[in-house]
Amino acid sequence: MRPFVGATERELAGAVADWASRKGVAERIPAAEKEGALPRDVIAELGHLGVLGMTIPETDGGLGASAVAFALVLEELSAAWPSLAVGVAVNSGIVAGSIVRSATDEQRKRWLPKLMDGTGLGAFALTEPTSGSDAASLRTTARPDGNGWRIDGRKQFITNARYAPFAIVLARAGEFDPKRTSAGITAFVLPLDGPGVSVGPSEQKLGLRASDTSALIMENAAVGADAVLGEVGKGFAIAMAGLDGGRIGIAAQSVGIARRALEIARAYAKERRQFGRPIADFEGLRFSIAKAESDLAAARLLALRAAWLRDRGRPFTREAAMAKLYASEMAQRATHAAVQILGGNGYMRDYAVERYARDGRATTIYEGTSEIQRIVIARSLLAA
Amino acid sequence: MKILIPLKQVPDSTVRVKVAPDGTSIVTEGISWSISPYDEYAIEMALERKDADPTTVVAVVTVGAARSRDALRQALAMGCDEASLITADTAAPLAVARALAKVVDETKPDLVLCGKQASDDDQGFVGPALAELLGWAHVATITKVVPVEGGVELWREVEGGHEVWKAPLPALATVHKSEKEPRYPSLPGIMKAKKKEIPEKALSALGIDASGPTWTILSMEPPPVRGGGKILKDGDAKQIAEQLATALRDEAKVL
Repeated sequence: MRPFVGATERELAGAVADWASRKGVAERIPAAEKEGALPRDVIAELGHLGVLGMTIPETDGGLGASAVAFALVLEELSAAWPSLAVGVAVNSGIVAGSIVRSATDEQRKRWLPKLMDGTGLGAFALTEPTSGSDAASLRTTARPDGNGWRIDGRKQFITNARYAPFAIVLARAGEFDPKRTSAGITAFVLPLDGPGVSVGPSEQKLGLRASDTSALIMENAAVGADAVLGEVGKGFAIAMAGLDGGRIGIAAQSVGIARRALEIARAYAKERRQFGRPIADFEGLRFSIAKAESDLAAARLLALRAAWLRDRGRPFTREAAMAKLYASEMAQRATHAAVQILGGNGYMRDYAVERYARDGRATTIYEGTSEIQRIVIARSLLAA
Repeated sequence: MKILIPLKQVPDSTVRVKVAPDGTSIVTEGISWSISPYDEYAIEMALERKDADPTTVVAVVTVGAARSRDALRQALAMGCDEASLITADTAAPLAVARALAKVVDETKPDLVLCGKQASDDDQGFVGPALAELLGWAHVATITKVVPVEGGVELWREVEGGHEVWKAPLPALATVHKSEKEPRYPSLPGIMKAKKKEIPEKALSALGIDASGPTWTILSMEPPPVRGGGKILKDGDAKQIAEQLATALRDEAKVL
């Protein structure tokens, strides 16, 4: 029995854990990480398994599963393969969530099936070369052209760009107002196979190498009036709401990464013998494991609490930021402890812990850096 | 076509089986349970028929403890249409077959697919016994079922090839393996399975005596702990070969 988690939620996560452990997913990882791409058939399988549509309401053809269930599933996917979990987190978290919350019926019918059918993974394009944490300073523009809109600009670090049937693109309609930086920002659904849209070369990253991260370049890209998500000028709120949910996802991902790294380290510590006994007998190592597991359990509870609040329609911005902050920082400590326990072997590719350490490094950065999380938490605590 | 699969819930293959203090049973507390693997093949085989012909109805039934409901739920999540449970904490194999015969009489399937044996006691009794009780055609250890005019073709693997048997319906077959690996429950499958009713009846309510003729377990013991290996290193190659031959003949008794 776990707090915040119901029987159905446990079962859904269990099914994903089974899929990840029994279907030979692990064997696919080294080649995919080396090649820098998620295998299409694995994405298709996730569609078939129902993972991709799990956050989409039943009335839209999805599963309508809870945020708690999604957090648990992301933990399982992340434990199995962090690069895959990132793709799913973006597709089924922020992209699907933004459409479910803000789209018209026609838009839902048109775009949601593409996020569920396993033919690709959706992308969310907010970040630009000159706007990261200061997201509202974005420079991508949208001009009305009589029929719809023309979008110009360059988005950076876009997860899933290579697999995405479409991206939600944040662009400014109207002039930049330095006093109200978020004014005019509008969310568009942009198909990536249209004219004027191109995807830049895949970024070479420290970790999460099988997860595609690319630039998205729009040059006079034309979209219809029906591409606007929500209202013109209200896109920044859509992005911020999406990020709140996304942070629970990153917290869950951090938990999955830390959990698997520590599982590998524990198994190794019991097998590996030095000075005539298993290294698990040495207190220095035992204390390291005990501390890391305690932190892991705390991080999981924070993530589940935020998801549980969200499921009940309660405010969860602060709780999501706390979960994301704590869990991602925890994952740094845990994966480093795991590498240390494996010693020289931990530094080698043959043992997966070095990959978990590299993959986990991104968690304190994306969906808002640790510094931004502290700002969000402090702002909500110290609001007048 | 309606296909019925009698399944059995068994200790999961990952469980480290321990003999209970009574010496005639295993420790069941805290272990995880699964559908017996050959029954999973039978389910997969039936669901492949359903994939090919969506009018196919696939039903599962089990005779077992209340916890067996989880195995039925799992089968529903894989895609089976119906499930029913006959509760009995213990039942002699023949009593199980008799209970299943009642279910067959009631639900009138065209084809019954059983796993060729359960992975816990490996007896392989229930399938053939059920066919005998029903007076149905029975083919054992099949790997494929193909509907044909007037019945089904049942394929069996044999040394160097396969045999194809034809049976009129209704018929019973025991399954050795399906063409594909058993599918995983999808998340929508799990959600759908939750909403399905699993009717339950007690074995006694079917008018069946659970005891029946059966065997008695006299004792259970774990396999002996493997001793350490032996390294032969004294002498030249010829002498070591002689020592090895002697050891294989006199100690290991394999020559």
